[in-house]
Amino acid sequence: MQRRHLISVLLALAGSTLAPAALAATPVTLRVLTHSSFDLPQEQLAQFEKDAGVKLRLIKAGDAGEMTNKLILTQARPIADVVYGIDNTLLPRALAAGVIEPYTGPAAQRPAAATLDAGVVPVDYGFVTLNIDKAWFARSGLALPTSLDDLTQPAYRKLLVVQNPATSSPGMAFLLATIGGLGEEQAFAWWAAMRANGVKVAKGWTEAYYTEFTRNGGTRPIVVSYASSPAAEVFYSKDKLTESPTANLFLRGGVFRQVEGVALVKGGQPAAREAAGKFIEFLRSPGVQQSLQTTMWMYPAEAGAPRAEVMQRHAVEPQAHDSPSSAEVAAKSKAWVQRWTRVVLK
Amino acid sequence: MKPRWLLPALPLLFLAGVLVAPVLRLLAEGLAPTVDAGPLRWFEVWQDDFLRWRVLWSLAQAVITCALALLLGLPIAWVLARLDFPGRTLALRLLMLPFVVPTLVAALGVLALWGPRGVLGAPLAAAGIELMDTPWLLLYGNLFFNLCVVVRAGVDALEQVSAPRVAAARTLGATPWRAFWRVEWPAIAPWLASSLCLVFLYCFAGFGLALVLGGQRYATVEVEIYTLVAHELQLGQASVLAVWMLLLTGGVALGHAALEKRLAAPGRVAPVPRQRPQGRAQWALLWVAVFVLFAVCAAPLLAIVARALQALLLGQGAAVLTDADTLDALWNTLRFSGLALALATALGLLHALGVRALDAAAPARPGGAAPAAVALLWRAAAFLPFVVSSVTVAFGLLLLYPQASASLALLIAAYVLLAYPFVAKSITAALDSLPASYAQAAATLGARPLRVFWRVTLPLVAPALRRGMAFAAATALGEFAVTLFLGRPEWTTLTTLIYQHLGRPGQANLDAALVLAGLLMLLALGAFALIEGRPRENARHA
Repeated sequence: MQRRHLISVLLALAGSTLAPAALAATPVTLRVLTHSSFDLPQEQLAQFEKDAGVKLRLIKAGDAGEMTNKLILTQARPIADVVYGIDNTLLPRALAAGVIEPYTGPAAQRPAAATLDAGVVPVDYGFVTLNIDKAWFARSGLALPTSLDDLTQPAYRKLLVVQNPATSSPGMAFLLATIGGLGEEQAFAWWAAMRANGVKVAKGWTEAYYTEFTRNGGTRPIVVSYASSPAAEVFYSKDKLTESPTANLFLRGGVFRQVEGVALVKGGQPAAREAAGKFIEFLRSPGVQQSLQTTMWMYPAEAGAPRAEVMQRHAVEPQAHDSPSSAEVAAKSKAWVQRWTRVVLK
Repeated sequence: MKPRWLLPALPLLFLAGVLVAPVLRLLAEGLAPTVDAGPLRWFEVWQDDFLRWRVLWSLAQAVITCALALLLGLPIAWVLARLDFPGRTLALRLLMLPFVVPTLVAALGVLALWGPRGVLGAPLAAAGIELMDTPWLLLYGNLFFNLCVVVRAGVDALEQVSAPRVAAARTLGATPWRAFWRVEWPAIAPWLASSLCLVFLYCFAGFGLALVLGGQRYATVEVEIYTLVAHELQLGQASVLAVWMLLLTGGVALGHAALEKRLAAPGRVAPVPRQRPQGRAQWALLWVAVFVLFAVCAAPLLAIVARALQALLLGQGAAVLTDADTLDALWNTLRFSGLALALATALGLLHALGVRALDAAAPARPGGAAPAAVALLWRAAAFLPFVVSSVTVAFGLLLLYPQASASLALLIAAYVLLAYPFVAKSITAALDSLPASYAQAAATLGARPLRVFWRVTLPLVAPALRRGMAFAAATALGEFAVTLFLGRPEWTTLTTLIYQHLGRPGQANLDAALVLAGLLMLLALGAFALIEGRPRENARHA
């Protein structure tokens, strides 16, 4: 009896899983490749599908680096028609591999608060920088560091956690910031000093923030995160805090501007090309530019787009950033990661 | 004779299509001579100090974990199989929960105990003992995940031991200890070897917990392959590493298959009845087992449950339970796991029956060497999904079937691939200890092969089947394959949802993740209860 029951449950599950696949015969399906942090309100996406008369198929392909590599690897038979989430660190690689086709529609012509190489439309930007646990610093009485060099001093021993640039995009961005801000040789000298001073390396942002950061039970009161994280802490807090428990620490050589864009995939289905253009325009529309601020925690790229209140109050943009030129990033990033691994881990 | 050869066909096709072909495709891509990459450095693994350290460390931690798991797992298995005490069934089920818990949540649990701010970690840290970034925490994490594999196998094995033989040994004057070594140990060794092989492969090729708990220094070779493929797209060097890994792990899998085959001792008998603990020694053993189980498996889980309850009652965790996303994720988890379980069970059964058919076709005579080798290879093939680096499979699949990317078929195939070896291994072991005479008797009495299978073989291997299915279900429920194999947002499962919440800052996200982890554990317990049924019934069957 029990077995028969189990089988009928399994059959019901099988039926419900397979049925939608059989019915998938909608007019145009637009395949959108994104990184796993892509997040927009469901209603907004549904409205787009209705207005544009297309069926969206979002494909999440891991983090931005992994996604870019999947795109490059499958360029002979692309797995998507349009790609969102390629940023200024990964774009040179994608362009060199020739997986992107320039887009020249209205969104590409309008002025943007942050730009990318021609043909790729910027959608949003953000800053990778240091975050501190305010309560920890208040408790310990330790003064905030005023330069990256301070962090190599004994007083700041074992206080910083960073992500491995080989496996994490904020980790990569922070490495680039140190190189952009201090110069290549100086930067690696700093990393060597940091190794001696007990810098902790986590695999990715989540591990760093949720297992190493003091705010979540770890031992490190300084973490590489985003300039918008303090705002997100307020947004996702219990009784809507008025002040964020974390704060940004903008140091020279410690701020990287990450610009994310959307682009056409070379070799995508010709039938979906028009829909792909509509999707690109959609990402730069006022609605999306507003909502992405509190779903993906980035700043809108559309010049003059209004800021969400929580971002305005708790995620002030840094005055300066230290990003190396994209030509340099394209030529050297692989070698830099290898050198970093040698200096910090080996 | 012919239809027997068809048994392995389906699992063979499956393995070839979703595992072997993609990996070969990626290796072909990586090993093809290219202009800019330069010659491949085949022996770099052994020449580069850093890489060699990683390989040796991977090996060492896997071996140490196996030894510890055997040392701790065997007494626990004996207690659970031989002694009758309240909460025994629950303990058996709770034991499998670590398998379901997402890596990162498990890490949160372990850190809540042993971390610098943890219940036990804080006093230790105050005493100057820091556990973070030491291999101890990693080994602890390995045990947390893998102890259940050894214990479950041990319990099953001990339930197959012949009661009259143990009784006979005792009557002839053997001490309980001697009876164990001479009667029980030989009977359970193949089962234990099988589970230890799994543990070894899990730890050696392990990915998740090692990285979170061990820190970057203790990362395994698999991590290196992942980095090379997913982030640096250096397929050449990744392929070289993957081939070395395959040689090492494949060797282990083959060695184990040979051992299992040789140790297999068919003999079907009345199991030793469980009894209330008697005497001081048994009570002591019971308490030691309970203590070890608590310290290794239950404590981190309790830490998670405590944090989940705290989030639910005091924090903002309650909101997530009524979220539309959560309901969708719950439904996805149920249907993907259910479907994967059904397919994994079918494939696993076929694989195991294939092993038996091939064994039967390779009689011990001089000309039987080739079929025997085939049988052995097929036996070892059940380990393939654990032996091959999963990131190479994922990228290979993309290259091979770009049109199928983000298709449900590929997603389910990924689940099945990771779940079915549990069923295959479990049933292979059960069939090994099943004398051929049973089926032969039924056949002599006129039963057709299918009927023999349905009425004789299946009921006899039912407990093993249920155990394999429980592990398969646990794998499917906790699996994070979705991201490796390209997922769609509408296919978010509970596990992926947990990671999504942990991908953002803020207390509400942490609370939500913890509550969801609690929900996942409840779901898993329900699934185990459904699959394993009432244990008393099993006992009567057996």
